[in-house]
Amino acid sequence: MTFQGRSECGRLGLSDCGSDVFLAGWVDALRDHGDLLFIHLRDRSGIIQVVFSPDHASPTLCQTAADLRNEFCLLLRGRVQKRAEGTENPNLETGLVEVMATALTILGKSDPLPFTVSEKAMVTGATVSSADTVTEELRLQYRYLDLRRPSMQDYLIKRHRIVKTVRDFLDERGFIEIETPMLTKSTPEGARDYLVPSRVHPGHFYALPQSPQLFKQLLMVSGYEKYFQVVRCFRDEDLRPNRQPEFTQLDLEASFIDEEFIYELMEALICRMFVIGGIDLFRPFPRMTYAEAMDTMGSDRPDTRFGLRFIEATDIFQNTSYGIFKQILDRGGCIKGINIKGRSEQLSKNVLQNEYAKEIVPSFGAKGMTWMRVIDGTLESNIVQFFSPEEQKAILNRFGAQNGDVIIMIADASYEVVTTVLGQLRLHLAERLDLVPRSTFSPLWITDFPLFTATEEGVTSSHHPFTAPDRTDFDPTDREALLYLRSRAYDIVVNGEELGGGSIRINDRNVQNKIFRALGLTDNDVEEKFGFFLRALDFGAPPHGGIALGMDRVCSMILQASSIREVIAFPKNRSAYCPLTGAPSFVAMDQLQELGLFDVKENDIIQGMDQNLDTVDALSWVSRIGIEESERSLIADAVDEAVRLAEIIGAKAGADDPLFTNINAVNRMRTKGDPLPSNHAKKGAIFKNAPAVKGNFFKVAAVLEF
Amino acid sequence: MQTDLFTFFNPSEPCAEQGGPLQGKSFTIQPNMSVCDWPTEAGSPALKKFVAIEDATVIERLKKAGAYLVGSTCMSELGFGLAGDTTGKVIAGGLSDMALMMDMMGEVRIAAARERVFGFKPTNGIISRFGLIGLVPSMECFGVLAKDPTLIAAAMGVMTGQDERDFSMDETEPPSFDLTDSEKLSIRTMGIIRECVDVLEDTVMSKFKTDLEKLKTWGFSIKELSLPDFDLFRTIHQCIGSVEASSSCGKYDGVRYGHRCHQAKNWNDMYLKSRAESFGTLIKSYLFQGAYFQFQNYDAFENAGRIRARLAGDIHQLFAECDVLTFPTGNGHTADPKTSNQVSDIYDELALTLPANVLGIPAVQIPAFSADGEIDPGLQLMGPRFSDARLLATACRLSRSVEGGR
Repeated sequence: MTFQGRSECGRLGLSDCGSDVFLAGWVDALRDHGDLLFIHLRDRSGIIQVVFSPDHASPTLCQTAADLRNEFCLLLRGRVQKRAEGTENPNLETGLVEVMATALTILGKSDPLPFTVSEKAMVTGATVSSADTVTEELRLQYRYLDLRRPSMQDYLIKRHRIVKTVRDFLDERGFIEIETPMLTKSTPEGARDYLVPSRVHPGHFYALPQSPQLFKQLLMVSGYEKYFQVVRCFRDEDLRPNRQPEFTQLDLEASFIDEEFIYELMEALICRMFVIGGIDLFRPFPRMTYAEAMDTMGSDRPDTRFGLRFIEATDIFQNTSYGIFKQILDRGGCIKGINIKGRSEQLSKNVLQNEYAKEIVPSFGAKGMTWMRVIDGTLESNIVQFFSPEEQKAILNRFGAQNGDVIIMIADASYEVVTTVLGQLRLHLAERLDLVPRSTFSPLWITDFPLFTATEEGVTSSHHPFTAPDRTDFDPTDREALLYLRSRAYDIVVNGEELGGGSIRINDRNVQNKIFRALGLTDNDVEEKFGFFLRALDFGAPPHGGIALGMDRVCSMILQASSIREVIAFPKNRSAYCPLTGAPSFVAMDQLQELGLFDVKENDIIQGMDQNLDTVDALSWVSRIGIEESERSLIADAVDEAVRLAEIIGAKAGADDPLFTNINAVNRMRTKGDPLPSNHAKKGAIFKNAPAVKGNFFKVAAVLEF
Repeated sequence: MQTDLFTFFNPSEPCAEQGGPLQGKSFTIQPNMSVCDWPTEAGSPALKKFVAIEDATVIERLKKAGAYLVGSTCMSELGFGLAGDTTGKVIAGGLSDMALMMDMMGEVRIAAARERVFGFKPTNGIISRFGLIGLVPSMECFGVLAKDPTLIAAAMGVMTGQDERDFSMDETEPPSFDLTDSEKLSIRTMGIIRECVDVLEDTVMSKFKTDLEKLKTWGFSIKELSLPDFDLFRTIHQCIGSVEASSSCGKYDGVRYGHRCHQAKNWNDMYLKSRAESFGTLIKSYLFQGAYFQFQNYDAFENAGRIRARLAGDIHQLFAECDVLTFPTGNGHTADPKTSNQVSDIYDELALTLPANVLGIPAVQIPAFSADGEIDPGLQLMGPRFSDARLLATACRLSRSVEGGR
């Protein structure tokens, strides 16, 4: 069998009519019309209709074709012809032609499918049941079938285009790609490492890189000037919806540069990448300081596609007699608000008071919320009577309020509470009121981050300890002053999502030492963690800086995919598990011993028990029943007993068919009518015994840890 | 009323339907049976503060037949074993005419034997379990304790019959519980299983032999039969029962009802902690055994089903040679509720009753054969499926004989 001279299904057109073609691919769909069989044959390029007709095909061929099922892999020969008028399929790019089969080889049969692969209807107007409606778990389990779907192939092909664009662009700009190790030492990102035990050095571990941070800085010391890498990174964090334990990063670093170099480079690159998704971005990207972003949008990655900026209102209430505000201001607090223009119809008193003030805002972490609706040029609210006429007038002026507007204010003793709660509220309202324009992309640079974040004892780095501060004349022992320092870090944010970030780094050993002192690290700590790196700074390190982009996230945004898993061929699910391969999985005890994870000599005597403890823990996990230490030995005994029983049962099993019930029961189906909700559901009785309820739902702990 | 025997008393006055077959008779339930607005905790923290939202089918039927519901007795955790159970005491103390109790491995018969009253476990699948909070669905059913076996038959007659709310019932027409046709219901031959008798403890053995002599004098013929795999009943009950318990306890997730640990940082943690606190050590051990068979040795569960099929065939053959099989009810073991937290203790105590549960066949415990002695393990009859009325008729006849003979 030869595959030479194969035509691509998706490229056939009217110009091919009359020619004999040789095709290979999968049965996307089929339609049996008795003596005529139509199939959609799909390869990577697209779909073509193939007809098995007794006029062109031998009886043997028609008989073979009758056995075809969805997703059989085929090789066939046939003649291209124009479809009869009225039978064209506008769903297909090749819909004007069809191939009359003259020979067929079945290359691979397919079992019945767990879900539909086909995405194209065979006839105009017919609907196709999409695999998007099956559970993602099933799609991930049969990922190889899921990836056959044209929409998934399109994602991965476009992702390839995006990555290729990155490489071409950076090559043009004089960057070179250099690989850095995967088996390495813990790096300073601060998330949990994935550890790899060393067999050669028992009890010692490599860490998988959270980023190539230190290596790329070392490459700058080594004089490569412009480095980049499309690199896999690993973080053992509790998963959030759009995170993966391993992810791909575009990592780059350059010497003898400043922030403007990075902005120019990245804007040009990002614009080119977005073009692949048909999206034009406008340059230059706006920039905003961290302080302004927090002050006006309550987030360090604000979504700037819509307004709802915060308006300062603290001064309006300087002399207020409204008790709650007065108390808050006496404690040094602040008051900010937003004006939701013209939405008083959607935001009724009931919605504002019972949903937002009582439920939503408290869940964001504020004690309360003040709302006002503007009706006939005056404020309407449950508390407006506590405001003086001057205050009311000042509110109307400050917020530029007009009839139909809704003003929401948050007052709290803590500035952080006011801004972060208003920030979440801003997003909530935008979503609810549909204020977010679709297919708009608003990039934004966030700059001037605080260098340090306060902790209970002292300070910690907001990014990592190699980020350059905006000034170097600080006193590392003055905590208050340290918290005022800005860093030379920058984040690139699009539509409220952080796509990447980076900074100009410290290249002066003295400044680096001051940072470590500010962080309260001892010389020993520093030596142990970063000694190898700091020594490099002593050998003429150039000024340098860089940035990293999360490529999974960038691709999923450019391709407007519903999650980052759509643009990754073999992702993990939300619990960091791979339903396809079953990773992570248990390993054999001797494998662990070989790696020195169990000291055989010491544990020889209790080795059996160790294994048993493992079984108990494994059973505890799969049946989601925790155990107290005090129960452990009894439960371990019970499991031992079960193992013994299993042995007896195995020895006496015999060959009868298993009997699972003694009852002569039959399957019963509802005889007629639609399924009805139970009366208990209608009356809410099913919530009577629930430990926690929210509205019409059972409330549970967060699915993922935040 | 002795409050330590009850978890809940019926707050409403007896005002039953007039003229029903159980007019004026009282009954109790266990707190794993649903009565609308009654606390229904099934003896477990897993159902802490659970209040039933509707009546179980059997409750509806008993009430409709004129019986008055006294209250809810105390029970072991989820009905596994007899620790803390007060059902027998309530009947012996005359606090109720009948008591409903779940029988998953012989609890009804053992509770009755301990207090020297009648206890009956019907054929599985003839009484609706809608409203019963069960543990091992293929082996459990409602049973009844009473001093008067005719009352048990009357209650059974009321409770049996199809219920569209229970989709696990037997398609076969349920047996009649009319005991008047004594000729048709009479039995002649009782079988004993050698492999069971041979291993009885001395005291139980001598008591059982005395009972058999009495039975002979009343005209029953005793036939010694053999079932070499008899000891496997217990083994496979434990395997199948623990798997079914592990599976049916999956519903106690602390989301829709039951106990919730509120100090959980995420979903999995919520399940682990809530369920850690929901089950006592004994039932937890049982659930871990079930989890072992389910997740690490499923073959053992299937093989237990093969043995069950074989035993069902063996017993079927034995019933060709005798009308009923007879055993002592208890076997001399008593799991001490204070110290017993091992699954095997429970199985030790209920080893002679559980075959009826494995096979879904009816069984009755008959008291007072040993009224003269200190030890009364009780006498147990097991019959083929749907021979319920015959067993009860025989129990009535024997109880009259015992009284007459005294």
